[in-house]
Amino acid sequence: MSGVRLVAPVVLLGLLGTLGPVGATARPADGGVAASTEAPTSETAGEETAAPWFEDRTEAAGVARSHRNRSFHNPYARIMEGYTALGAAVAVTDYDGDGLEDLFVTDSSETGRNLLYRNDGDFSFTEVGEAAGVSRGNDAANASANALWFDADGDGWDDLFVVRFGQSQLYRNRGDGTFEDVTAAAGLTRYLNSIAAIAFDYDLDGDLDLVLGNYFQPVNLFDPDTPRFFPESFEEAENGGGVTLYRNEGTGPNGVTFTDVTEAAGLAGDTGWSLDLGHADADGDGDDDLFVASDFGTDHFFVNDGDGTFTDATETAVGIDTKKGMNADWGDFDNDGLLDVYVTNITDEYMREGNFLWRNNGGQGSDLTFTDVARETGTYDTGWGWAGKFFDYDNDGWLDLYVVNGWVSGGPDNYVLDIFELIIDPEADLADARNWPPMGDKTLSGYQHNMLFHNEGGTLFRDEAARHGLDSIADARGVAVADLDRDGRMDLFVTNAGEAPNLYRNVLPTGAHWLEIELEGSATDPDAMGRMGAVSTVVRATIDGVPHVSFVNGGNGFASQSTRRVHFGLGSRTVVERLEIRWPSGRRQRFENVPGDRIFRAVEEPPDLQPPTEREPPSAPSPGDDRP
Amino acid sequence: MTYLALLLSVLFATLPLHPPAELFASGMAAAEARESARALELLEAAAAQEPDNLRYGAEYRQMAIATERYDRSIRFFKRQAKRYPDSADVRLNWGYAYVDKIPAAGAVTQVILANTALNRFTEALERQETWLGLYTRGNSYIYWPTIFDRAKLGIADLERAVELGEQGEPKGYHAHAYAALGDGWWRLGDLEKARAAWQAGIDRVGADEAPYLAERLALDGEELDAYLDATYAIGNRVGTDLRELWAEGAQP
Repeated sequence: MSGVRLVAPVVLLGLLGTLGPVGATARPADGGVAASTEAPTSETAGEETAAPWFEDRTEAAGVARSHRNRSFHNPYARIMEGYTALGAAVAVTDYDGDGLEDLFVTDSSETGRNLLYRNDGDFSFTEVGEAAGVSRGNDAANASANALWFDADGDGWDDLFVVRFGQSQLYRNRGDGTFEDVTAAAGLTRYLNSIAAIAFDYDLDGDLDLVLGNYFQPVNLFDPDTPRFFPESFEEAENGGGVTLYRNEGTGPNGVTFTDVTEAAGLAGDTGWSLDLGHADADGDGDDDLFVASDFGTDHFFVNDGDGTFTDATETAVGIDTKKGMNADWGDFDNDGLLDVYVTNITDEYMREGNFLWRNNGGQGSDLTFTDVARETGTYDTGWGWAGKFFDYDNDGWLDLYVVNGWVSGGPDNYVLDIFELIIDPEADLADARNWPPMGDKTLSGYQHNMLFHNEGGTLFRDEAARHGLDSIADARGVAVADLDRDGRMDLFVTNAGEAPNLYRNVLPTGAHWLEIELEGSATDPDAMGRMGAVSTVVRATIDGVPHVSFVNGGNGFASQSTRRVHFGLGSRTVVERLEIRWPSGRRQRFENVPGDRIFRAVEEPPDLQPPTEREPPSAPSPGDDRP
Repeated sequence: MTYLALLLSVLFATLPLHPPAELFASGMAAAEARESARALELLEAAAAQEPDNLRYGAEYRQMAIATERYDRSIRFFKRQAKRYPDSADVRLNWGYAYVDKIPAAGAVTQVILANTALNRFTEALERQETWLGLYTRGNSYIYWPTIFDRAKLGIADLERAVELGEQGEPKGYHAHAYAALGDGWWRLGDLEKARAAWQAGIDRVGADEAPYLAERLALDGEELDAYLDATYAIGNRVGTDLRELWAEGAQP
């Protein structure tokens, strides 16, 4: 009957051309950076080969140092170690202004050094973390969990924020290849168990603000004064670290400072187990909205009200969920001009959550809605998902998706059985760490293949990871996408927990065309300093009559920060008919007939689109003397 | 119509200003017309205004099932429970909302949901002892495999449900408690008591009202085991619409 039979069945994802603003026509030029000598040739254009399109260059490039997980020395050590197998992260930027993007890679062990890999330009790297002064990210009271490059003080040089379980660190880039720790002076010493950080100008005052996603509450994980610091529920936990918003107060005599405005901005209501943050102008109103992916409970979507506050629009925009959100990356996968979100969750025989591919239906403010199309697009099941990044690996004009996965690959015993023992007791206090079984050498959702989803025209994705050698079964965490050799083909750096990373060079042989743009914005507020790296700048390209949209993101994606160059695949087209740039200041620029297969630098003020040039390193300053 | 009048008419057309019965009727009409999203909104609004109306909550949950908005349903009843902490019926619907999600979940999540539902049912009984509450929790216990040793708890609840049912006029739906009680004894391997319970149900409500009781009594050995294993199989969606109650005149 459908009536009263109630109850519970059980059991048990160079150019070569300088352009004038609006309406200008592309003209040939003789400077700039040409495509790499390994760029596709006309002989191979339009052809596809059976050989893999990615090469694993980890060893050859000199970036093979293994990540190490944290060990603990407290009464909960045997439990903690299984639940903190995180912290393998990577962040990309051109920290030294030589035109080549570099890599910062974290370790998590107590004696582990974080690594700064300087790009030497021949797809090899030199580790300079110690000399640069950014390697000391781990000690007895702190464990590195993530990293973020952003120009905190607006001097045109990217500073480094090391996200930690404990007290995070802000390193000011002196512009001479070295850094200084300005955490205390910046007011960022608060103890937070952060695992995610993004930077964008939420209040449109011309500087970059900092948003942190905190996993645990601010309990000292290394010497906890209570056993009750674990999630209170598998599905509805609200006892996590939530989100912290630091407003950039600008630069004074003692450098840049930040103020915690979480409550005033309307973000304090999120007390979940944050694992990732993603910002984007989802409703096209000129300010960036915020997606928070949370473990053990609902994700949150906050609409930016444009007045320094956010409104929690979770219920109307995406609905409440109880999944294990771990990634939030924005991209327009269906080329409809609207930015969509990809969120990974856990999909296994014991927890069939499925990922979210939230297609943006349009609308503004509270009318903005999304529809989950993960099932119909084939991006639903990626096992225990971690980072999932949109990028166009074959330059065909459609955003593909690389998703890495797997929790812990251990011995033959399955930890799921231990979980069952925990959860069958309806009275069990899950918040008490003592009730969680130690993981030991057991496996939980381990040995899972990473997945490379090829976008088949915006409606379906097909996994091509095995074909291209990207189907590693390591316990991957973060994915950074960047064109490390400036050849127009997007490369990948994948971090693995407790293992060496993977650096994959894209050797796409099809000859498909491309365009990359580095953006250099000016501050909105004339009193604010210099530039803010153009984060949140939206770029729209018309390619063969089809509109494409991309934007500069300030760190979206789990345990990783990708390039801030905007990249478009052009397929067989060699020219972008129209390129429109909307700067965070609201200024707009339009260029026509922009030639492809080049990396341009777009400048907000004075408006220009030109080949990038290497910056002159500033003279070595003493702290504070180069600030206005 | 002036602009002001038009504006006012729009303002006053917002859902909370409608009587709950009207909202419920509109919601059911929308469900009939397969306008699931609108039905969900209307039925949620009705249930919000009448927390102790089990039927409003039950039909709202059916739309949540149809639209796979399980978590919205759970969150809704959680909020209701905060607003109406003394309402047993809110707790029952909250528990059913967890049960509704079980077929869509993986094994670990199923256990979590089932356990959480049991807690909600217990909270409902702590607020008010009813035949429905006892039957619901008792039957929930019977679903757990024997190894969890919960059949005894289920039998205790179901015996009390039978006792309450026998204090009033016989209702066809009362037979479910007899069925589940017998199934509990089957879980424990006591077929004699199982058959006695099933027969008592027929004696109370008549064989025609509860053919599933006669089906049980007609089987033995492996056939009976297969029948009951299938009844309690993983992945079965358990009916929680409670429509059988209203059909027999129960007050929602």
